[in-house]
Amino acid sequence: MRKFFVISLPIGALIFFVLIMISGNYLKMPMGKNDNIPEIIEVLIHNLDEEKWEEANRNTEVLSKAWSNIIERVQFSSERDEINAFSMNVARLRGGIAAKDKANSLSELYEAYEHWKELGN
Amino acid sequence: MGNILIIVFTLCEKEISILNEGLVVFVRAIIGYFSLLIFARIIGKEQISQMTFFDYILGITIGSIASELTTDLSSRAWPHWIGLATWASLGYLMEKISIKWRYAAKFLEGEPAIVIMDGKIMEDVLRKVKYSVSDILVLLRNKDVFNLNEVAYAIIETNGALSVLKKPEHLPLTPKDMNIKVETTGISTEMIYDGIVIKENLKQLNKNEQWLHSELKKHGIKDPAEVFLLTLDPGGNLYIDKYEDHMKKVTDIGDYKGPY
Repeated sequence: MRKFFVISLPIGALIFFVLIMISGNYLKMPMGKNDNIPEIIEVLIHNLDEEKWEEANRNTEVLSKAWSNIIERVQFSSERDEINAFSMNVARLRGGIAAKDKANSLSELYEAYEHWKELGN
Repeated sequence: MGNILIIVFTLCEKEISILNEGLVVFVRAIIGYFSLLIFARIIGKEQISQMTFFDYILGITIGSIASELTTDLSSRAWPHWIGLATWASLGYLMEKISIKWRYAAKFLEGEPAIVIMDGKIMEDVLRKVKYSVSDILVLLRNKDVFNLNEVAYAIIETNGALSVLKKPEHLPLTPKDMNIKVETTGISTEMIYDGIVIKENLKQLNKNEQWLHSELKKHGIKDPAEVFLLTLDPGGNLYIDKYEDHMKKVTDIGDYKGPY
């Protein structure tokens, strides 16, 4: 029992802490429905290329919802800077789509994808 | 246009509120606290008073990394934790090296320096350890030495403290000098703590509860529960402190009115 407390407990705790800290890279990956960020971004790029603004608007909401799910999962293991930057990209993307500004919307999308890639890395 | 802005702001707010900063800091604080606790136990540093200057820096740095791990949410906890683990393992490694390899210990931890030898101040050594004469005088006074004539040897230890050996004529008189026989003293053992008899300690000193009760009776105590602390030294002397102290006049050392 003493050995358990002296050796196993600290090692177990350290392993648990490490798992929490490095989990961001895995938890950002799609796990269920509607949380596949790269796929939604790809669809959105397609929408913008074809200038389908209504569809792009709908898909932005899907992206926003998916992002909310991801944030809840990765908040303990990711840097807030990347999380905030992605959220800002989504907000600006909404503005770009509302103004039917293809160039700005696309650049926000590509930047958002970079932030998603860096999340937890 | 105004409507669109309002919608954007409310949506942004909704998104950000999902991120609970307080909760994240709480979880990271738990990770930092227990990691630090485990690392500190592994390094197994001596008491603070025995730390060398570098041990002190090591402590500050590790503490500062742990605090950043907890509250610096702009970056992940993981790189901070790696920094913490690296500093802690280097500290552990250096300690192991200095225990196993004396040559390295001399470099890593420094060595004691004799600053007063045979009553003479060693100026070169003082310069080397970067202590001024007044520093040495302060350290000597801390050791209750006010006259340099009393000092035979003074040594600056690696933790910066001064050890003093006085000249034989200034050393205190001991019973041995007077050829007086004294009883051996030792460490006293707790027999009753907080009103509870510690049976393991009674057994260890070959005593039983009957003996304890008879001793208590001698001091006018009926029940061990009346006793706060009872210790026995190897010379057979008891120290008894009861819950009731019967103090008529309690000395108050407070010299100024305060909140209590």
